[in-house]
Amino acid sequence: MLAVRDLSLRFGAICAFEDVSFDLAKGELLAVIGPNGAGKSSLFNVLSRVYRPQTGTVTLDGEDLLARRPRDLAACGVARSFQNLGVVGELTALENVLVGRDHLMRAGALRSGLGLARAEERAQRDAARLALRIVGIEDLAGHVVATLPYGDRKRVELARCVAMEPKLMLLDEPVAGMSAAERAAMTTLLARLHRDEGITMLLVEHDMGVVMQIADRVLVLDFGRPIAEGPPAEIQRDDRVIRAYLGEGLAVSA
Amino acid sequence: MTLPLLVVVAVVLPFALSAAQLTTATFVVIAAIGATGLNILTGYAGQISLGHAAFLGVGAYTGAVLGGDHGVSAFVWIPAAGVAAALLGAVVGPIALRLRGLYLAIVTLGLVFIAQHVFFNAGSLTGGPQGRAFPAVQLGSFDFSPGQVLDLGGVTIDSSGLYYFLGLVLLAAATAYAWNLRRTRPGRAMIALREREAAAAVMGIDVGRVKMTAFVVSSAMAGVSGALYASYLSFAQPGQWSLLMSIQFIAAVIVGGLGTTAGPLLGCIVVFALPSLLKQLPFLPAEGSGGLSAGDLTSITYGLLIVAFLSFEPRGIVGIANRLRRTGNGSDVGSRASKLTVTTPEEAHP
Amino acid sequence: MSEFLQLLFQGVALGSTYALIALGFVVVYRASGVINFAQGAMLLAGAYTISWLATDLGVAFLPAVLIAVVLLAAAGAAFQAVVLRRVSGEQPFVLVMMTIGAGIAVTALIEALFGADPRLLGDPWGASSFHVGAVTISWVKLWSIVVTVAALGAYFAFDRYTRWGVAVQATAEDEEATLSLGVPVRRVHLITWAMAGALATLGGLFLAGFPASPEPGLGDAALRAFPAIVLGGLRSPGGAVVGGLLIGLTEVMTSGYAPSSLGDNFYAVAPYIAMILILLVRPYGLFGRAPAERL
Repeated sequence: MLAVRDLSLRFGAICAFEDVSFDLAKGELLAVIGPNGAGKSSLFNVLSRVYRPQTGTVTLDGEDLLARRPRDLAACGVARSFQNLGVVGELTALENVLVGRDHLMRAGALRSGLGLARAEERAQRDAARLALRIVGIEDLAGHVVATLPYGDRKRVELARCVAMEPKLMLLDEPVAGMSAAERAAMTTLLARLHRDEGITMLLVEHDMGVVMQIADRVLVLDFGRPIAEGPPAEIQRDDRVIRAYLGEGLAVSA
Repeated sequence: MTLPLLVVVAVVLPFALSAAQLTTATFVVIAAIGATGLNILTGYAGQISLGHAAFLGVGAYTGAVLGGDHGVSAFVWIPAAGVAAALLGAVVGPIALRLRGLYLAIVTLGLVFIAQHVFFNAGSLTGGPQGRAFPAVQLGSFDFSPGQVLDLGGVTIDSSGLYYFLGLVLLAAATAYAWNLRRTRPGRAMIALREREAAAAVMGIDVGRVKMTAFVVSSAMAGVSGALYASYLSFAQPGQWSLLMSIQFIAAVIVGGLGTTAGPLLGCIVVFALPSLLKQLPFLPAEGSGGLSAGDLTSITYGLLIVAFLSFEPRGIVGIANRLRRTGNGSDVGSRASKLTVTTPEEAHP
Repeated sequence: MSEFLQLLFQGVALGSTYALIALGFVVVYRASGVINFAQGAMLLAGAYTISWLATDLGVAFLPAVLIAVVLLAAAGAAFQAVVLRRVSGEQPFVLVMMTIGAGIAVTALIEALFGADPRLLGDPWGASSFHVGAVTISWVKLWSIVVTVAALGAYFAFDRYTRWGVAVQATAEDEEATLSLGVPVRRVHLITWAMAGALATLGGLFLAGFPASPEPGLGDAALRAFPAIVLGGLRSPGGAVVGGLLIGLTEVMTSGYAPSSLGDNFYAVAPYIAMILILLVRPYGLFGRAPAERL
């Protein structure tokens, strides 16, 4: 579904990453990992159209993603989460999820203000509630997000992504900043979304535990270059990967 | 619950006030229409605009030219004032699109000056620096001109009262519209834009369209407000559509509570009733004798109010009311707001 | 031709005053993301303080200027410490509104204290001038250029060569990181606002010079410096200088050459029109860059 070929990004003389190529099949969960500075976040930002790469192509179901602007991503079926929390504090959880449905709605200010768009609004609220239910936080629907704890806010954001009915979900360090309990809950949730809802996901993540548990395949970057790709179990034993994380001289053979 | 009570109070009020107080109340209600628009632009969509006075002015002169010079009915010139101002808003919209935050604020500052410049120089439309007369509202057989009196059964309503009720009706319509916006797609999009502009586009929000909508809607309301205001005053000069007027509106929406439903009216009560209240302070020297004038004191107070509210209660009077209510009930923060504040959709659609 | 040269001189003089004012904005904005809408009021306060010291209290002019600069610098720092720091975590919008509020209050206070009539500035130059060819060089305007150059020189030297200058730059780049390095960021903010006060005073001094005089309308004149900072790019001190000169020249040239069909006093809005036109092409000013967004 997602095909990435020969992608590279440079900032002036500094190379963020280069020669990255991989495929992501429908329904797969690919995790991109690597030590700090490996280029994971930059790769993520290229895929979510924040940066423009110097070389390479990214196609989603045959469509050239690099030719589209960030605002077209939703329409292309791509949903992404934000490290700085992409939730709107002043809105309730339900309203936040409805923001994710915005690109699927048609009511303008004229009809909405005059109260003429009730049918669409009701239908969308039902869809939003469904997304909240899938993520398991339907009871938080009426809560103003600013009053929710961090873990719940992350789940609201996830619900928003789910509500966008995306082909592809890009998740930016989904368990960053979480306590052990929150992490476990989030991991279970992501696994469930992947397995039961069949959502195709690409994760950038630091936390090995999460990655090993839920990823179908793992792509490892080090100093901006891909050094390994494969199922989690293989990656765990891969010499190059171990060396990258632990440094030379500490590589242990499988 | 509280809404019917408010309606009753609002309707009965003119009969309980003195003539001077009614005049103030009428100005407050008319201004609140414009403030509701600014609340949508700044409170919902987070766009700083110092140019609100320009839209009021455009609305006023549209009303004057159509109603006064061409004898068109008020049923036409009042909406036309809104449309004309909205058109100007639509021009500013694309500029707002390209500019972020503070650049936009300064451009709107330029808008106020440029508009005033045009008003001062377009003598045939605006009367130039001397100003011009504005037409009184005439709705069918109801004549709002000063001195006219309406007899309804035993109840007499004078010109002020008529303007008051017309303003009230339009304010109710504007408030209902704003409330609907807030609970539906455009309102959510605006708030998302305000809080997370960088991320909003990726979330699927059409940022350009949202900003444009916010400008058009708020200018339309400003236009209607300006037309009514000038009509009630019956005479105005270009100098009135000034930066100070824009700032008065900004002060009103801040003091009332940015983004709240009751904020615009509450803020206007404070800001526009202030001068008449201050005039009655005993220690002020007589007008024109130098020293602290009521005008200066008013400005000082606006300034201090803005600073004070932003320091202590950015949610304005509504915020203060909420806090009092919460400490009184000991109820949950946020999830049980009353209809006077940011309504949660769960209450609107139980 | 001589008229052109005359206007050129006056444009440069006005432009250098705008450059001073613009620099005061940029200094604050870079460090804190706040556009100080109270700059006009500070400018007014500066001019009135000089006037009060020099004419009411009979203080000699140069000391009066120095005292005023110090007083306004202290006032700027005090405003930051007492008012702005309370809301330092809020969005820039809130901070901007606070400066607007403070500006209104201060302007009205000045008018209340001193009345609305124009006063004597108390400067030694008055209307005196000399001639270079067919061009009349007024001493006030000449000094405005000299002082501006000196002030700018001092600022750039400070910025580049002193510890505090580097600290200001670092705070402007990334406040949290700078804080974690042990730099007293609070003091940096105080310094920035003190500089803004000082620059505003100097700006006020020359805006109030012949043929103008200290009067409440000066605050509005200061607003014309806004296009200068926008043109220059809100974060660029060099841009502020260029912007200031451009705006001063635009204003003077327009007043000299604008056809009457554009209306009386077109020169007062010409800077804004120029600003809007340029922004349409370059949304971040001539020298500004799109700010990096952290998603």
